[in-house]
Amino acid sequence: METVYLTIVIAPLIGAIFAGLFRNQIGRVGAHWAAILGVAISCALSFFVLKSFIYDGMLTYNETVYTWMVTDGLRFEIGFLVDKLTAVMLVVVTFVSLMVHIYTIGYMADDDGYQRFFSYIALFTFSMLMLVMANNFLQLFFGWEAVGLVSYLLIGFYFKKETAIFANMKAFLVNRVGDFGFILGIAAIAMYFDSLDYAEVFAAAPQLADTQIHIFGDETWSLMTVICILLFIGAMGKSAQMPLHVWLPDSMEGPTPISALIHAATMVTAGIFMVARMSPLFEFSETALSFVLVIGATTAFFTGLIGIVQNDIKRVVAYSTLSQLGYMTVALGVSAYSAGIFHLMTHAFFKALLFLAAGSVIMGMHHDQDIRNMGGLKKYMPITYWTSLLGTLALIGFPGFSGFFSKDAIIEAVRYSTIAGSSYAYFMVVAGVFVTALYSFRMFFLVFHGEGPRDKHAIAHLHESPKVIIWPLILLAIPSVIIGYITVGPMLFGDWFNGVIFVLPEHDTVARVGESFHGPFGFILHGILGLPFILAMSGLFVAWFIYVKNPSIADVIKSRFEVIYNLLDKKYGIDELYQYLFADGSRGIGKVLWTLGDKTIIDGMIVNGSAKAVELLSGVVRHVQTGYIYHYAFAMIMGLLVMLTLFVNF
Amino acid sequence: MTFELFLFYVFSAALLYAATMVITQRNSVHSALFLVLAFCCAAGVWLLAEAEFLAIVLILVYVGAVMVLFLFVVMMLDVDQASDRAGYMKYAPVGVLIAVVLAIELMLVVGPGNFGLDKFASPIPHAADYSNTKELGRVLYTVYMYPFELAAVILLVAIIAAIGLTLRKRPQTRYQDPAKQVQVKAADRVRIVKMATEKKWS
Amino acid sequence: MHFDSSTLIPVLPEIFILTMVCLIMIIDLFLDESQRQTTYLLTQISLAVTIFITLLVSSPETQVVFDGSYIRDPMSDGLKVFICIISMVAFVYSKEYLLKHDQFRGDFFVLGLFAILGMMVMVSSASFLSIYLGLELLSLSLYAMVAFDRDSKTGSEAAMKYFMLGAIASGMLLYGISMIYGATGHIGFSEVASAVATSGTDNTVLVFGLVFLVIGLAFKLGAVPFHMWMPDVYHGAPTPVAMFIGSAPKLAAFALAIRMLVDGLEGLHADWQGMLIILAVLSMALGNVVAIAQTNIKRMLAYSTISHVGFIMLGILAGTNEGYISSMFYAITYGIMAVCSFGIIIAFSRKGFEADQLDDYKGLHERSPWFALMMLFVMFSMAGVPPTVGFFAKLFVLDAVISVGLTNIALIAVFFSIIGVFYYIRIIKLMYFDKPVDDTPFEASIDTKVVLSVNGTSLLILGLFPASLLSICTAAFG
Repeated sequence: METVYLTIVIAPLIGAIFAGLFRNQIGRVGAHWAAILGVAISCALSFFVLKSFIYDGMLTYNETVYTWMVTDGLRFEIGFLVDKLTAVMLVVVTFVSLMVHIYTIGYMADDDGYQRFFSYIALFTFSMLMLVMANNFLQLFFGWEAVGLVSYLLIGFYFKKETAIFANMKAFLVNRVGDFGFILGIAAIAMYFDSLDYAEVFAAAPQLADTQIHIFGDETWSLMTVICILLFIGAMGKSAQMPLHVWLPDSMEGPTPISALIHAATMVTAGIFMVARMSPLFEFSETALSFVLVIGATTAFFTGLIGIVQNDIKRVVAYSTLSQLGYMTVALGVSAYSAGIFHLMTHAFFKALLFLAAGSVIMGMHHDQDIRNMGGLKKYMPITYWTSLLGTLALIGFPGFSGFFSKDAIIEAVRYSTIAGSSYAYFMVVAGVFVTALYSFRMFFLVFHGEGPRDKHAIAHLHESPKVIIWPLILLAIPSVIIGYITVGPMLFGDWFNGVIFVLPEHDTVARVGESFHGPFGFILHGILGLPFILAMSGLFVAWFIYVKNPSIADVIKSRFEVIYNLLDKKYGIDELYQYLFADGSRGIGKVLWTLGDKTIIDGMIVNGSAKAVELLSGVVRHVQTGYIYHYAFAMIMGLLVMLTLFVNF
Repeated sequence: MTFELFLFYVFSAALLYAATMVITQRNSVHSALFLVLAFCCAAGVWLLAEAEFLAIVLILVYVGAVMVLFLFVVMMLDVDQASDRAGYMKYAPVGVLIAVVLAIELMLVVGPGNFGLDKFASPIPHAADYSNTKELGRVLYTVYMYPFELAAVILLVAIIAAIGLTLRKRPQTRYQDPAKQVQVKAADRVRIVKMATEKKWS
Repeated sequence: MHFDSSTLIPVLPEIFILTMVCLIMIIDLFLDESQRQTTYLLTQISLAVTIFITLLVSSPETQVVFDGSYIRDPMSDGLKVFICIISMVAFVYSKEYLLKHDQFRGDFFVLGLFAILGMMVMVSSASFLSIYLGLELLSLSLYAMVAFDRDSKTGSEAAMKYFMLGAIASGMLLYGISMIYGATGHIGFSEVASAVATSGTDNTVLVFGLVFLVIGLAFKLGAVPFHMWMPDVYHGAPTPVAMFIGSAPKLAAFALAIRMLVDGLEGLHADWQGMLIILAVLSMALGNVVAIAQTNIKRMLAYSTISHVGFIMLGILAGTNEGYISSMFYAITYGIMAVCSFGIIIAFSRKGFEADQLDDYKGLHERSPWFALMMLFVMFSMAGVPPTVGFFAKLFVLDAVISVGLTNIALIAVFFSIIGVFYYIRIIKLMYFDKPVDDTPFEASIDTKVVLSVNGTSLLILGLFPASLLSICTAAFG
């Protein structure tokens, strides 16, 4: 199997290299074939791996492929850990990636950076696979940073656009904060566990569960809490949890296919995956779990609220992504890791679908992204309309759709949880359901229903998108609808994650939910009677009432609740706060340091000083390096004399 | 003082004198000739140390071949001796100082303190029928065969390098090819042309 | 005294290469100008077969033949293979240069092969005598190669300087060997080592000889203050010769150090450690600082070599197996980097244009992005920027030095490396951020391009997977 796993990882890398380095030689068609072929190979093999796990009862693979170096007992290795969790991630990543690759052919058709784009997304796929297949923290960190790098490059893909540059810089800086925590966490693991290997660390975790450490002064901290919170800070950056969420909406400056692939389906879920993978550590720190829970719940609700007032089609979907990531985080907080991963999977499909559909709409509207200018697109873009509808229903958790199973499972799990913050979280996630339905259908109605596009000029050019765009939509719509129904049994309540995800019995909320689980159909029935369903329906209704039935109400509400509207429109002012506090603040400090440190000390003394020293020394050397043999010979004799005098004991 | 010791001092003194003259003479031809003298004295010292073969080789190779060649080169080059000596005095004091310090250090180490008779017993003289050449030959072709072969390769490289650096065919230079000259036939050189008698001046 | 022809087996690589060079020399005589490529091809084939034979006769144990003159051990096998590989690459670039400049002559390759033979002899020496002869064989070939372009005044001048100073250094080395022989009565390394072990504290003569040995070694390596020939020779010699001198012979010089100082005189470690510290620190300081002031890239590389030599010596002076391994890793890495840097200079040169000024590299990225990238790899690797292999080379050496407690020396090394980064990055800046002054299209034959690409990317690949190279070095000191 090692060959298979290596091929899965390497194939996209080769595609990326071909598309990137030989872009002029192989041309546009060659580039997209190279990248797509690479990803297609790894997608096919991923399905094969998943099949082997399901039907052939394949065992977990955990081997080191290459030892990079060994120092002080720490082994730096490249290795693969392929278990059922990895298999699910492999399929999700490669499948969505493949769809996005195909979609890109249509979406980027007129772009000058066509080959560059393909090279980047194939490279992203490689990095993401390295991340999910890692069997040690070093490789995890490599994948983590590599996906971050590609994300940075892709957000700034239109590098001549001022806002895109600002957005990628923002994403980069905010992720630095998260990664700083993450690497500190890894460092703490290396320090206390003396290993970077997952298996060894997890095996040692129970013994170190009660270890107390000193960080500053005499105050004692639980080692596990410190490690888990540090790791989770990394996840907060990557998975855009409050208050490190600010980069994700801005990342929509990148082309739409990558918003679907990186900023909805895969990379942003890396944090969720990481925490689930680290379940043997997180389980030993209830404090850390509560921290995770509260952060997730806050993100789930409050970012959803912002989604209601956004007018840019991609930003609405972006805020929805934030909110859904919050749900996944909540699931992690209540130890329902399997529910988190389950939601990750369903979300990957329907959110990628929604983004790609949004991209299709944007193309139809000639890159006008303002939903207020749209409307009535149903009759011009029927397939986009229907796939969007399926995606939206999945998103709001309409019974039977994939999102319903995953979201309901999370809400139920929160209900059974007893750890600190769970009641707050329960309120947030339930209220979040209403918000989700409201913003989703607000956008849906504004885009597809009502009066035709405001710009009559646009109508003339409005038509359904080409096949390479439509097919990925359809192919993604299928799992968006059915995947939940098929997999809820085995994945959540079956034994799929046995031995992969570790949950202490007292935390096992999923098992509590499972006690009343009698097949997916029963789950649907149970869901229809539940509070979340009612809230979702009322959200749908409110959206319909305000934006279709009686559009004037929207403006009335806007003026009545101006304070709240402004608060939401300003995204709680977090951006401004950061801008003022960190950006301007650090620039202020930077300026002081610059004038004081750079100009006087570094420029004045070190740079100019060393330049002068170099000049002086090279002047001397030039004086000695005369070119005369006898000078050279003289130098050698002097050297001999000095060494003889120094070392020989006469 | 035995006669041998006397000879040793004579040769050594002459050797030192000759060596000093080699580097202080203004005329390069004189320097070269003093070098010949130095070699001869050294050969004398070696003879006293029962290294007869080496002593003779030193005379044959260095004096007979190398130095003669050297003299030819010096004479052909016609070195401008005045400019060669310019700045000589400028460095002399420093040079002498370093030379003296170095010499003292060398003597301290290579003196009787480390190589005296108490450290190394004087070797037993060999019998009269002892053949230095034979002994050298024996080890040279057995124990030291590998280094010996290497030395041969070094000589080969020296030959190649010398030829490579000096031999050149200039297109404008005219060469004689004896082989062609020998094979020449009369017909190639002389052509007999039959001409009709010219008309008279009219 | 009996002789068994099976003792010749370990020496087969040397025997083969000597036979081939004699053959090639004779064949070359009978070729006319249009068939000159045959000499080149035969040279490359001989080297390839030599590598093959070396691998064939290699084994983990040590063999000593020729009455203690010749040794074959994993270190010699590894170094020989790399010497041949690096030389093969160097010959590919050399052919490019010689063809471009109408100087394609057979004696370049013949002398080159003799030099390689000299290096292999040095690498496999078990006694002072054979190592000295190997060194002379190498040096003599190099002197002649420096003067290869007979019409170049600077070339002849450089050859003369190199020859004179080299002769002085050889004299010192020989004097040192005679002192060691005087003190121990032996010239074989293992016999010397056991004699040194019994000598005790009364070792004035030994240390006295050691000083001369170290100076001879320092001259070969190009360590300060015995480095003065290097800038002039790099500058004056034809580029392929400078490349040849700057690459594989450093591996041989490393072997020279290991054989003499470790195999022979490990008992005097405390003494030669001090000497090497002085040489290493001076080399790193002077090499890095003076390189900044250079405008000629070949001269700059000469000073850069001096600084790298400092690092190679750092590993040796640690005096532990770890140190020797790191030093061998560094030497091999350095050889690969050096040959690549000169390869790029050659690839960009053409008749009447040597491409040896820093300004010639302005805007290289626009003229040839791929080879600008290769140059970037070389410069990053030389500067020690991860993930190139140069980073690991420096890391291993520093690690070895720190683990024997010489933290201050490691700090000095790091300090000067940082200064050194400046002039490497400056080339990258010239290539990527300046406008080209010359937009003549880039012309090089296909084999040069391919080899250069492999050579350049190998720096990155070895950096990502250093374990392969490291395991060879580890086996050498197992």
